[in-house]
Parts: sequence; structure tokens; C-alpha cells
Amino acid sequence: MVDSLLSARGLNKQFRSGDEPVPVLTDFSLQLGAGESLALTGRSGSGKSTLLNILCGLEKPDSGTVQVLGETFDARSTEAASKADARWGGLRRQQIGVVFQEANLMPALSLLDNVRFRARLAGQSEDDCRDWLERLGIGELADRFPDQVSGGQRQRASLAMVFAMKPALILADEPTGSLDRHTAEAVIGQLFELQARHDCGLILATHDPELATRCSQHLDLGHLPQT
Amino acid sequence: MTLPAALFSHYRRHPLQLLALAAMIVLATMLWTGVHHLTSQARASLDQSESAVAERQQVARTDGSPVTVDDFVELRRAGLCVMPWLEVSEPEGGRVVGVDPLAAGCFQTPGGQESPWGGELNGRPFVDISEAAELAREQGSELSLLVSDDHSKGDLPPGYQLVPFSVGPATGELGDSFLLNLDALGILVLLITALLVRSVYLLGLAQRRDSFALLHRFGVPHGRVNRLLVVEILLLAAVCVLPGIWLGRWLAAGLGSGFGQALEGLFDQPLYAGQGGSWLVPLVTMMAVILVACLADFLRPIFRGLMGGNRRYGCLVLLVLIAGLALTVWVTDLLWLFIAVAMVFVAAGILAPRLIASLADWRSGHDRDLQARWRHRELAVLARRLALPLVALQFAMAMVLAVQALVTTFESTFDRWLAQRLEADYYVEVPESADAALALDWLAEQPGLSASGLWHRVIRGRATLPGGEDEEETRVDVFAIGPVGPLVTGWELFESAPQPWQRLQQGQGVMVNEQLARRQDIAVGQTVTVLFGSQSFELPVLAIYPDYGRPAGEILIHPSVLPAEFETGFQSLSVSPGNLSIEAVTDGLKGVWQVEALTVRDNRAIEELASAIFDQTFLLTRAMTTLTLILAAIALLMMGWVFFSTRAWYFRLLVVWGLSRRQATAQLVRLSVSLSGAIALLALPLGVWLTWVLVHRINPIAFGWSLPMAVYPRFWLELGVLSMLIGLSIAFLMSRQLKSPTVAPVNANALAGGER
Repeated sequence: MVDSLLSARGLNKQFRSGDEPVPVLTDFSLQLGAGESLALTGRSGSGKSTLLNILCGLEKPDSGTVQVLGETFDARSTEAASKADARWGGLRRQQIGVVFQEANLMPALSLLDNVRFRARLAGQSEDDCRDWLERLGIGELADRFPDQVSGGQRQRASLAMVFAMKPALILADEPTGSLDRHTAEAVIGQLFELQARHDCGLILATHDPELATRCSQHLDLGHLPQT
Repeated sequence: MTLPAALFSHYRRHPLQLLALAAMIVLATMLWTGVHHLTSQARASLDQSESAVAERQQVARTDGSPVTVDDFVELRRAGLCVMPWLEVSEPEGGRVVGVDPLAAGCFQTPGGQESPWGGELNGRPFVDISEAAELAREQGSELSLLVSDDHSKGDLPPGYQLVPFSVGPATGELGDSFLLNLDALGILVLLITALLVRSVYLLGLAQRRDSFALLHRFGVPHGRVNRLLVVEILLLAAVCVLPGIWLGRWLAAGLGSGFGQALEGLFDQPLYAGQGGSWLVPLVTMMAVILVACLADFLRPIFRGLMGGNRRYGCLVLLVLIAGLALTVWVTDLLWLFIAVAMVFVAAGILAPRLIASLADWRSGHDRDLQARWRHRELAVLARRLALPLVALQFAMAMVLAVQALVTTFESTFDRWLAQRLEADYYVEVPESADAALALDWLAEQPGLSASGLWHRVIRGRATLPGGEDEEETRVDVFAIGPVGPLVTGWELFESAPQPWQRLQQGQGVMVNEQLARRQDIAVGQTVTVLFGSQSFELPVLAIYPDYGRPAGEILIHPSVLPAEFETGFQSLSVSPGNLSIEAVTDGLKGVWQVEALTVRDNRAIEELASAIFDQTFLLTRAMTTLTLILAAIALLMMGWVFFSTRAWYFRLLVVWGLSRRQATAQLVRLSVSLSGAIALLALPLGVWLTWVLVHRINPIAFGWSLPMAVYPRFWLELGVLSMLIGLSIAFLMSRQLKSPTVAPVNANALAGGER
């Protein structure tokens, strides 16, 4: 087992539907080491996106602990919310790259400016931003705006943004969900290749069982939450 | 499910959008109806007032003695249409006018305007002459014999003459000016309401764009969807316009009482027309405005065809702006002036959001900081998407600036006019039978008055300035003042010869008011010919003094200049008693004149009352403009909030990328405040220009006189603060959305990369 990059213990999360509680995560735990990849599968509504949001601090669990990149977050801690938010913000800014299924780019900025913006926020050099776009095969589109390129090209630009920030952990929420099979394969191939080369952790939420087999670990959230 | 049900189901899912559109139609209708109703009522009231106080003619005896009932009988026997007019002063102030409805019957012409004393004589201020005669036994009274305008001098029996008869100040032009400004305000409000309704409607359409595309894919033709949208907006307008009209009338009734009081103050009669008027005009106007505002898109292809490309369109609008500006300087016709103003407003409205967007785009191209670059690009998107509410706010701000400046100028003018006319603390009427010269000697001999008090005598009457070859003669009011002292020497003079007051005291010339100087092109040093009856005088002009908007021509002279045959209209003494009490002065005057009672007016009390009444009128205008501004601000707030909501995802991305919510909110604040600040900045020149047009173009063209123009930078500051508040409010509402869990954008446009 490699050194732990991320561990989550005893996570619980429930939403409410009217007066009824809807449990999404119940006493959930996971562990991920550097260079490892974990596939999260399950039906729509099984809690994949909620888990990813909790693992990067965008949502707070009802209870449980998340340890990530040396920082510990306990849902029941007395720490002020603003302080915890600031620590999570620091991690997302510099070490955790998040990729959503769609709309990862600022529409008002060109692809290159989006990558540079993300690198700048992470405190990384902007010099190799164009290189990242070229490595992902969209160098000639660098000055175009998101609405001027295809969905696959936008997702490649999203990956360029993530790698330009040199993350230790990547959280990808169905990153190829809206792409055709051919484009999806190309994008995911590049994601795995770069993850391996940079030895960062990857958690991938997907519906695709074939894609899940390419990850070193696989966790099936499977069921729909019980109401 | 039917097609209409499918189409309208959008509002079941988004009831707030429907509510916003309905609320905007109701509020816009309320606002315009309020302004329209006030303007109509004000016009009706002024017409009524004018008819009550319009100058008529009366019969006077040539030997100067007052007319009596015997004269009335003689004139009636001679076949003249004469009516007795018995004016009685009331002990608590004010007056009652006794008229004889039977004698007045011959004044009525078939189909002609009803006389102000027509209908029920309810004491406000007309009563039956028998009632007035009863009152006259205890109070002072004055009988006049009004004669129909159909009669000329030749119809009169020997020993009688025709003389003008006037019962009130000639304030018609001031009133007309006020109404014209209200009309201009009404047109602007209509334009702003159209913009607001359209902006909310377009927002709703934008939210339903995906549904329309889906229906089209299902084979529903565009035309059918458009027809259903027409039905939808017609139904909504029909439901919302009526409550809006009712609210507008309610608003106008509340504010109108102030105007009524002002009229009463002006004409000494309760004359506000009050409620009434048609519902049809606001109903039809608002339905038309809503339909045009919401369905203007159908005209767009025709318009585009005429305009050509984007660049050509921009150049054309710029040309319209320049042409409008040029026309406002050159035209001398009121209709063309209004057209020019409309051209400037339309062009400014089209150009303002484009200018903001272009400047923001330009700035983003030069920003090295990527956050600033992103923020400026977002600003450009916002300026384009929120163009309509932004323009509505710009117009409302410009209007507020202009109206505030105008009203404040009116106010200060009125205050200064009052201060000038009511300089002395008391005003004592010289009784008709009294010899004013005796009073002058007595006043001059009072050591207490000489030490600390001030006084002068005023003789009022009329004179004529003869016209040139093709010009008509001009009737002017004469004010003969003496001794010339500190009560008048403190007046501001526009232009003067050396030592003007000393020379006036010595009877060496005449002073003329601003309006007369402008109309007759009179300058200091020039000599004017003044006819007092049949006697002509050549008098040098010593000074031109401000009249603060009083439209009548005036001349100021020393009483020693007046010829013996000058017909004195009225005589009074202006007295500031200093250490003496006014009672001591009036007791002395009663003794000198051997009278038991004197009419004394407390000028300070009058000043206070007049200021209070006018303040209420100015409050009305301010209230209407402020309401317009609030409505425009709410519209921008609402639209800004809804539109920002569609961009919420991108602000959430900032948080995903590691910015704290506070930092993301700071970006939001900078963006929204930049937007509202930019529009306030663009409203500023438009507002100053509009003030200039109202003061220097519309008033002189319409009435031949104008008020001084003043700008008030404090209003600019207030608008700046308001724009900042609007920006902060949008940011506040939006920042609440940043707290909610991450929600991906759902509309097709955002998924395809988002608007930029």
C-alpha cells in the first residue's frame, strides 16, 4: 500500500425530500494513495457527485472525517466554518483538480486564458499553459472561446487546466459523460496517461463499467438511496 | 396535453417569472397612469382657474366715483349685458364673490365655455349676490359691473367707460410651463415603462428558448408559437392593466391634493379638478405600449433590412444622435424640438450599453491580470444582456437629474421672488379715500422708524410701450416706489448704469424686468418710450432686474415721474417697523387717514404659507420622478438577479478553483457596481443636457421666457450612491446563491460554452 493521499472515514450524508430524510452516504469510508486511481460507479442519484463534492470540500458531510494531503476535516469539529472553508479553498486552489461533466471553462475567456487563469490561481507558472493545450491536441484552438469549439475540445481544455495546476489529486465527475465514444476514449486516455506520468491520485465517477476496470480500485455505490 | 398547455406550463414551473412580468405591467401602468392622471387633472384645474381669473372688462364711471346699483339699472336699461360682481373680504382672510345668476345669463353663449360662476354657487368663492350683500354690511366690500366682451365703447351711455377687470395674478404661463414639463415627464415615463416591460418579457422568452426549440423540433411551426405568445401577453395585459390604472389613479389622488393646495394659493380659490377623467386613454395606451414592447421582435426583420450590418447600424445611430443634438440647438418649433429630444434619447439608449460593452471588451484586451480580464469580459456580457433595464435606469436617472434641477431652480426662484416681493415685514393697503402723501409725512416724522425701521410706498398701475411700425404696443405693469431705500437697493441687478438706485430716486430713469428686456431687446443706457395714458415719456434704462420667471413685463420708476393723470390701480405701504410695533404704525396711520380699520398683511406669514404650499407641489413632481427611478432600479435589480443566476455557475467555478466565497463575492460586487456605476455615469451628461433643453429651449420656445439654469452636483452624488446601492443589492442577492450546493448549468446555451 502506498502512502495515503486521501482517506475518508464514517461519512454520513442525507438530504431531505419534504419531511422525509433521504440517506445518500451511510458510514462510508475509502482510502487512496498517490498514483492510485479509484472508479466510483453507481446509478444516477446513488451519491457519486455528493461524495466527490465532500472530498473536495464543496459540501459538508453530516458526520465523518476526511483526511486529504495532510489536512484533516472532521464534520463535528468545533472549527469555525470559515477557517475550514479557507483550508479547503487552499487545497482546491493548489492541489486538488476538479473536472465536471460540462462547463468547466469561463465562457468569457479564451481556452488559453482559462488555462493560464487556473495556473495563476494555483501559483504555477503560466509559461507551459500553451504546451498543455498542444499536448492535448488543441494547441491551434488556444485563442478560441469555449463556445467556438466542440464539447470534446472543451473537455480537453479542462484537462489542460487541471494539469497546468500540477495537482496531487484529481476528482473527475463523469468527465466524458456528454462525449461520443471515440472522443471520450481519447480524452480518458489522456487523463490516465497524464495521471500516471505525474503520479497523482485520481477519483473518477462514471457510469461506464469498462472505464471503471481501467482504475486501480473500483467502488460501486450501486444502490439508489433508500427513502 | 395541448400545445398551449405545454407552452404555458413554463410558468407553472417558474411562477416567479410570471409574477415578475405581471408585477412589472401593474407597476408600469400605475406609474404612467399616475403621471397622466395628474397632468390631465392639473390641466383641467388650470383651465378652470384661468377661466375664473381671466381678464374681462368692466364698466367704470368717467368721473372716477365708484359704481352703484343705480348704475347697474341704467346700464341694463340701455340694453347692455352687465353683471354685478360684489367682492366681500372675509374676517379670517380670503374673499367671497357675490354674483347674480339671472344677470349672468346673458354672458353665456351657446356652446361656449361655462362661466366659472356657472352651476351651483357653493361659496367657493361664488355666492348669490343677496348673500354677499348681507355679508357686506359687516365687512369691507367692492362692487364692480362686468360687461360682456361683445360690447364696445360705443355701446355705453355717456359718463361711462370700459376698463380691464382682473381678479387674480396672470400665472397662466407659469402653469403652462409646469404642465409642459409634466407632459415631457409623462412621455419619458411611458418610454421607460415600455423598456421595463420589454426587458422582463425578453428575459422570460430567453428562459423558454429551449422549450421553443424543442417544440420546433416536434414540428410546431414558429408562427403558431408566436401567435400563442401574442395571446398570452394580451391575456396578461388585460388582467394586469386595470389594477395598474386603479393604483395609478389612487396614487395621483394622494399626490394631487398638494397640487390643489398650490392652485388655491395661487388663485385664492379652491380649484383642483380632483378625480374624474377617463379610464379609456390609459387603458388603450398601456395595452398598445405593452403589445409594442413585447411584440417588437416581429418588426425586427424589417428594421434589420433597413439598417444593414451591425457597423452600419452603429454609425446610423451615432448620426441620429448628432442630428438630434444639432436640432435641439437650431429648431425653433416645439414639435421639432420634441422630435429632436426623442432622437437623442433613442440613440443614447441604443449606444449606452454598446459603449459600456465595448469599453469593457477593450479594457479586457489590455488587462494583464487574468481575473480583471475575466471580470471585464463578464461586464461586457452583462451590459449586452441587461441592455434594456440598463437603458431604462439611465433614462430614469437622467430624468431625475433634470427634474430635480428644474424643480430646485423653480423652488429657489420662487423663494427669491417671494423674498424680493415680500422684502418688508408688513404691507399696508392705502384705503381708496385716503391721501397717501399724509401717511408719507407721518412716517418720515417717526424717529423710531427712522432709527431702526424701513418703509416705502408702492403705486401700481399700467403703462404702454408703443411698438414699432409693424409691432404691437406692449402693456406693462408699473411699480412706482419711493423713497428708494434698503428694502429695494439690495435687489440683485443683471445689468446696471452707475448709481442706478440713486438715479431712480431722483426720477432720472426707469428699471425694467428681465422678461421685458428680453422680449423688447432692451439694454441698459437705451431710452424707452413709456405712455402713461396719453402722456409720453422718454426714460433712460438704469438697470435690468431679475423677475424670477414672472412672465409679465414690468417697469420700476420713482413716483415723482408719474404724471397727474396716471390711473393708480392700487397703492400700498411696505413697512418693516424695526423697534416699533406694527400696531403703533397702524394706529398712527389710522389717525392720519381718519379710518377705523386698515388692511395689513403679515408678509412673513404669507412667505411661510406660500413656501409650504409650493413645497407640496414640488414634492409631487419629485415623488413621480423618484417613483420612476425606484421602478427602474427594481427592474434592473430583478433582471440583474435573474441574469446573474444564469451565470451563477461560473462564480461557483471560482469557488471550486479555490477562491473563498468572500473573494468570489468581492468579484461579484466589483462587477455589479461597475455596471450600475457605468450607467449612472452615462446618465449624467444626458440629465444635464435634458435640463438644458427644458430650461433653455423648451421654455423659451413655448413661452418666450426662461428660468436660470443651474446644475446641482449634490444630485449627482446622490445618484452615484443610489447606483452603488443597486450594484451592492444585486451582488448581495447573488452572493446568497454562492452558498447553495454546486448546481451545474442546465440550459443548452451554458452547456455549449456559455455566452461571452
